[in-house]
Amino acid sequence: MYNTKERIVNASIKLFNDYGIASVRLQQIADEIGISVGNLAYHYKNKEAIINSVYEKLFEDFQQILGAYLKTPSFLDFDSQISYYFDFFKNYQFYITDLFATEHPLPEVRQKWQEFMNKMIFQIRKRLDFHAKRGDILPQPEATYDIIAEAIWITIVFWIPQQQMRTKPVTETRFKAAVWNNIRPYLTEKGVSDFSTLIIPIFV
Amino acid sequence: MASSFKINEKIYNKLLELLNDAYFIDSKGNINDFQFYHDDHWLSDSAVIDNLVYKKGEWNIELIFALHNNPLKFIKRQIVSYSCSKKANLSASLMRRMAAKDQRGTLEVKAEDFKICHN
Repeated sequence: MYNTKERIVNASIKLFNDYGIASVRLQQIADEIGISVGNLAYHYKNKEAIINSVYEKLFEDFQQILGAYLKTPSFLDFDSQISYYFDFFKNYQFYITDLFATEHPLPEVRQKWQEFMNKMIFQIRKRLDFHAKRGDILPQPEATYDIIAEAIWITIVFWIPQQQMRTKPVTETRFKAAVWNNIRPYLTEKGVSDFSTLIIPIFV
Repeated sequence: MASSFKINEKIYNKLLELLNDAYFIDSKGNINDFQFYHDDHWLSDSAVIDNLVYKKGEWNIELIFALHNNPLKFIKRQIVSYSCSKKANLSASLMRRMAAKDQRGTLEVKAEDFKICHN
């Protein structure tokens, strides 16, 4: 059983996803979990405090995903990180407006997004280095790896919103396939065999 | 929102490289790396004797770990000191019971039995 504070944060995330952060009112949040606005004000003194809590949870989750870098030396490690990213970006769909907003109720959020997204790209880039060194990926010039890393990052971050915009289904399998397709053309023979034994069985 | 620790981009990249390298540099350990475990293995089967020593106005609790089938194999460790002898006595007996494998103390070994020569 969640406590009220958690319920408020979870309801806020849902409403932020549906209506955007700016348009959600405290009354809506209170109605969503069936408590009074007075009770809501007991836990959070204003909307800013709720937004603060939501972002704290969001960045903590993001940090957790970034912490899951190369725990095991195989494709499976990236595959599980992709799954975490899928859950994360699906859960916090309001991130897309954040990325392009010129103003934000919390100015440090913008900076944090930038920092985390940079870390994400660096991780993907270094992961390519790792698999190249391991002989899973064909040797390429550094610049090519940079471009592949960026393409993977773009897929992870923008695949869900583009599917929603086109009212297409958002499934983890398709998400993963879209991400892996950036790497597949560069796999060596060893990489292909690893991929077909480790990753393809999970797709089905 | 609480400001968190920030890491420089260059250093973060270096850190990731080190993580990458960990899988290429790390090798399997040797069996003799575990020698220390074998060396200290006898301690798990030792008798524990508590010993109170009055020194500089305080009662020091010493625990002596002795191998019951080879009285010459023992180590002594000073644990803590108390200014009250009763408290020291009680703590010493509790520590002995905690450290000893045979908690009831039927495998009793007395320090005097070792006939240690203090010269």
